[in-house]
Amino acid sequence: MHGPEFEARVDAIVAKYPQPKAAVLPVLWEVQKARGWVDPASEAWVASRLGVSPAHVHGCVTFYTMYKQRPSGRHHVQVCTTLSCMLRGSDELVAHLERRLGIPAGGTTADGKFSLVRVECLGSCDTAPMFQLNDDYHENLTLEKVDRLLESLP
Amino acid sequence: MPAERILTRNVGRPDSTTLASYEANGGYQALRKAVTSMTPDSLTEEVKKSGLRGRGGAGFPTGLKWSFMPKEVDPKRPHYFLINADESEPGTFKDRLLMEKDPHLVLEGTLLGAYAIRASVAYIYIRGEFVYGAGVLERAIAEAVAKRYAGKNILGSSWSCELVVHRGAGAYICGEETALMSSLEGDRGYPRLKPPFPAASGVWKCPTTINNVETVANVPFIVERGADWFLGVGKPPKNSGPKLYCLSGHVKRPGVYEAPLGLPMRELIEELGGGMLHADRPLKAVIPGGSSVPVLRADECDVDLDFDSLMAKGTMLGSAGIMVMDSSTCMVAAMARIAHFYHHESCGQCTPCREGCGWLERVLNRIEGGTGLQQDLDLLISVSENIIGNTICALGDAAAMPTISFVKKFRDEFQHHVDHKACLTGTLALQGVR
Amino acid sequence: MPRVTIDGQEMEVAAGTTILQACLARGREIPHYCYHDGLTIAGNCRMCLVDVEKQPKLVIGCYTPVAEGMVVHTDNDKVKKARSAMMEFFLINHPLDCPICDQAGECRLQDYAVTYGSGTSRYTEPKLALAKAVDIGAHVTLDQERCIQCSRCIRFCDEITKTGELGFFERGERSQIGIFPGRRLDNPYSGNVVDLCPVGALTLKEFRFQTRVWYLKNTSSICAGCARGCNVVVGVGQQQTLMTTSGQLDDRVKRIVPRVNTEVNDWWICDEGRLSYQREQASRRPEAPVVSGGPATYDDAIAQAASALAVAARAGTLGAVFSPRLTCEDLFAWKTALEALGKAAMGVHVLKRGDDDDLLIRADKGANSTGARWIVGAGAPPERARTLLVLGDTLDAADTYAPDPKTEAQIVHVGPFVSAASERAVVSIPAASWSEADGTFVNFEGRAQRVKRCHLPLGEARPGWRIALDLLAAAGVAAPAWTSADDVLVSLASRVPEFQGITPEALGPLGVPARRAVGA
Repeated sequence: MHGPEFEARVDAIVAKYPQPKAAVLPVLWEVQKARGWVDPASEAWVASRLGVSPAHVHGCVTFYTMYKQRPSGRHHVQVCTTLSCMLRGSDELVAHLERRLGIPAGGTTADGKFSLVRVECLGSCDTAPMFQLNDDYHENLTLEKVDRLLESLP
Repeated sequence: MPAERILTRNVGRPDSTTLASYEANGGYQALRKAVTSMTPDSLTEEVKKSGLRGRGGAGFPTGLKWSFMPKEVDPKRPHYFLINADESEPGTFKDRLLMEKDPHLVLEGTLLGAYAIRASVAYIYIRGEFVYGAGVLERAIAEAVAKRYAGKNILGSSWSCELVVHRGAGAYICGEETALMSSLEGDRGYPRLKPPFPAASGVWKCPTTINNVETVANVPFIVERGADWFLGVGKPPKNSGPKLYCLSGHVKRPGVYEAPLGLPMRELIEELGGGMLHADRPLKAVIPGGSSVPVLRADECDVDLDFDSLMAKGTMLGSAGIMVMDSSTCMVAAMARIAHFYHHESCGQCTPCREGCGWLERVLNRIEGGTGLQQDLDLLISVSENIIGNTICALGDAAAMPTISFVKKFRDEFQHHVDHKACLTGTLALQGVR
Repeated sequence: MPRVTIDGQEMEVAAGTTILQACLARGREIPHYCYHDGLTIAGNCRMCLVDVEKQPKLVIGCYTPVAEGMVVHTDNDKVKKARSAMMEFFLINHPLDCPICDQAGECRLQDYAVTYGSGTSRYTEPKLALAKAVDIGAHVTLDQERCIQCSRCIRFCDEITKTGELGFFERGERSQIGIFPGRRLDNPYSGNVVDLCPVGALTLKEFRFQTRVWYLKNTSSICAGCARGCNVVVGVGQQQTLMTTSGQLDDRVKRIVPRVNTEVNDWWICDEGRLSYQREQASRRPEAPVVSGGPATYDDAIAQAASALAVAARAGTLGAVFSPRLTCEDLFAWKTALEALGKAAMGVHVLKRGDDDDLLIRADKGANSTGARWIVGAGAPPERARTLLVLGDTLDAADTYAPDPKTEAQIVHVGPFVSAASERAVVSIPAASWSEADGTFVNFEGRAQRVKRCHLPLGEARPGWRIALDLLAAAGVAAPAWTSADDVLVSLASRVPEFQGITPEALGPLGVPARRAVGA
């Protein structure tokens, strides 16, 4: 399903734990890194590779919110909306992004470029409001900063 | 008088994440001292004497926790040391600071803890969102292994300890120590029934100790300077040592501030934090310990930020996430947002939390949105009381206790929403983005 | 042994026992959903919260072991309030499906709501909407909304069958039981999750909408599916005034569920056993005795049969094939009758299919093959008799008994179902089926267990031992004065050494090992 390099990375991961089941989360990360999301075939593959049932893997994928069960936009915008960010304007930030991108929170643009989602506290409360764009934190945001950032993205 | 920066001494130095920088500032001397001249048990004793209490939220005495581990390792049951880097409590961002800016401090503390409990591997369970921090830690671990501070035969001794970074994937509940263990084992992050306690049977049914990032970051200093020195910082005997405080919300300078335990809240907000964000919007309320603890009204904020002082005020130091709200804050909206968090994060395992958190959020949303009924106010308190104490873990309590405190202390605002279907103080949308 | 006080009563309880177990063993009810004797402890439903003095909070009884000096209150105000609170939480998202839910009448949510609930609902928000009537397996339907997330079904598939089909998906309030897309709940014991489910989230397709459980007449009996002899409760429909959805009039078996017997089947039964009554109901029953291809009266048929068998027995040309599903009473009665008539070569048909598994299933599908071997002997069925008596039910997917098509033997058939043998018989007399007569089975481990009549025999069918008696009478031979299956058992026990000491009373509801417990 995945090439020998991928398999080698998985083997290295499994070796770090006394039992293969412990590698479920890290291996799912590898799958998502490689494919962009976790599809059912990959869940079955992970299950078989680690000796657990597919239901177990699916249970993990649906429990942990960062695993994507469908492809997201190329630029996945995850806006923190918990209390400290809310106090510093996260709701207006979300509204602005919804208008700007033309999608509701939870959606993906038709061209697949952007997806927008509200998330819980990202541990960056002192730089509120902020969002995580794919892997990277963008902090101390203003609407102008956001607009400039969006325009700069390929 | 500015206190000595201990935990944050390297933060802000150039290349502070590198081993070279860490060593240049005296790093890994504590590890050397422990491995060459202390036994695991004497190290534990020193930490016990120091009075260090867990910095993750529960404040459990660290040395005591370490002393629960078996004094000998059964080869069939290796000991595991787990670092709780899942930092997800709203209002908290201190562990992130340490990991991103002084990773070797975290690693040295981890290795010292692993030595004390006779572990041969330590897993650092870091929340999935901290991608950058995980990378910093991985690079630091590689450096440490190359210099024999970690890995096989540490500093030439017979003790080996591997360091493994294990990323979570988006679940606040995995910060609960037994849920962390479930997650590390590759399961859904379900908390476990206790007993057994982790020291008796933890991950893979082996003796396990779990400590917070900031907690272990204190240990190198205790080893180097001694327990008595540690007891001289803060408010001994039960509230000793330096503390990282996370200040956020309606203040001019949100951030992480280090001070000896027991920093007065007013000093944190007004001096270190630069005071209220808007001169014409005075302080209204503060949540002192991350969103899981009861709220304090402005008139209750003359209090020292330590474990016992806050407990005496009916709240908790928790994760030291101090969230400041000014007069423009709608307390109903704030509580509804907090309730949403717990509803989203509940693992769903036990009935009162699974059903109750959703119920609380729905009622709060109705009150906030203008369709609240008179009976809803007492209903919130009743449902919260039905959750408290009846759950497998503390997440249910974490949703319920703030709810009770908000409704009781700001009842007039809730009442106003019910009576007038409008907000007493103006909605947060007025805040705007900077 | 620790001495503990529960609700004011002091008692000694074995160390390691939990509060819940201690109470249940003494007939004291503590409400619970997720706890089950046969599965690991989950402790998630929180319904069994009790008050232990000196503890800061209520504790769950299912997980808390007794300790010396412990004082427990299971029914004080604190506990009552907690139970009422838990019931309220259970019900806020639970759909109001009672009118269409099979579980009604044996639903713990209903029962506990009445006993421990507050009687009204304070919940005015929209209820969670999830998938209903999801087909997850050959025999099981899932309703995700009704589920209370007790996890019994998941634990069963993980711990007992070790097949792991089921899991929790999503998180928090949206947690739901699910099955991996594309997979099926298809292990041979899938129906047990229906028994385990305290509510109507998992229901048996074959029982769906068949009847209400309070219309069932329940009889404790033994499954006739294989040599394990799982203990069961057979539920016979009693809605006399209505046609069922299957078009049959009631007073038929509507379902079989397992009965606990820690010596035989623990809490479980395989799907084939659970649904074995369907095979019976699908098989054709003879409506009346048949003589020379045409219907006859019972007395005529008996007279003809008696004549044919007596002649053959005296001439030494009689053979008899016994089904391994015949009860010990029938087996003994026929053997006695044939020996009274003269000589007969007797053999037991072997019904074997598949393999023994690690759990309950035996390859030997003869529920009473051990009893048959002890009573009739270990010989093979006779090949070359000129008159062949075929006794009992020998139908199966494989190894169905059928006489050699080329044989010129005259066949006399006494059994419950139309079969190749019955259709070739010169005389065919209908006998009671497994669910229509009392009897005794001996399982593969030598345990004798009581089979009970669940409903009246269909049409002219009679218990086999009674037909044997009537046959002897018609042949003018002195017959034992049996008037019931119990009488036959008493006789049997005095004549067949393996059954010494076995009486109907000794058998009880759970059976008893016979004197010579046999290996295989």
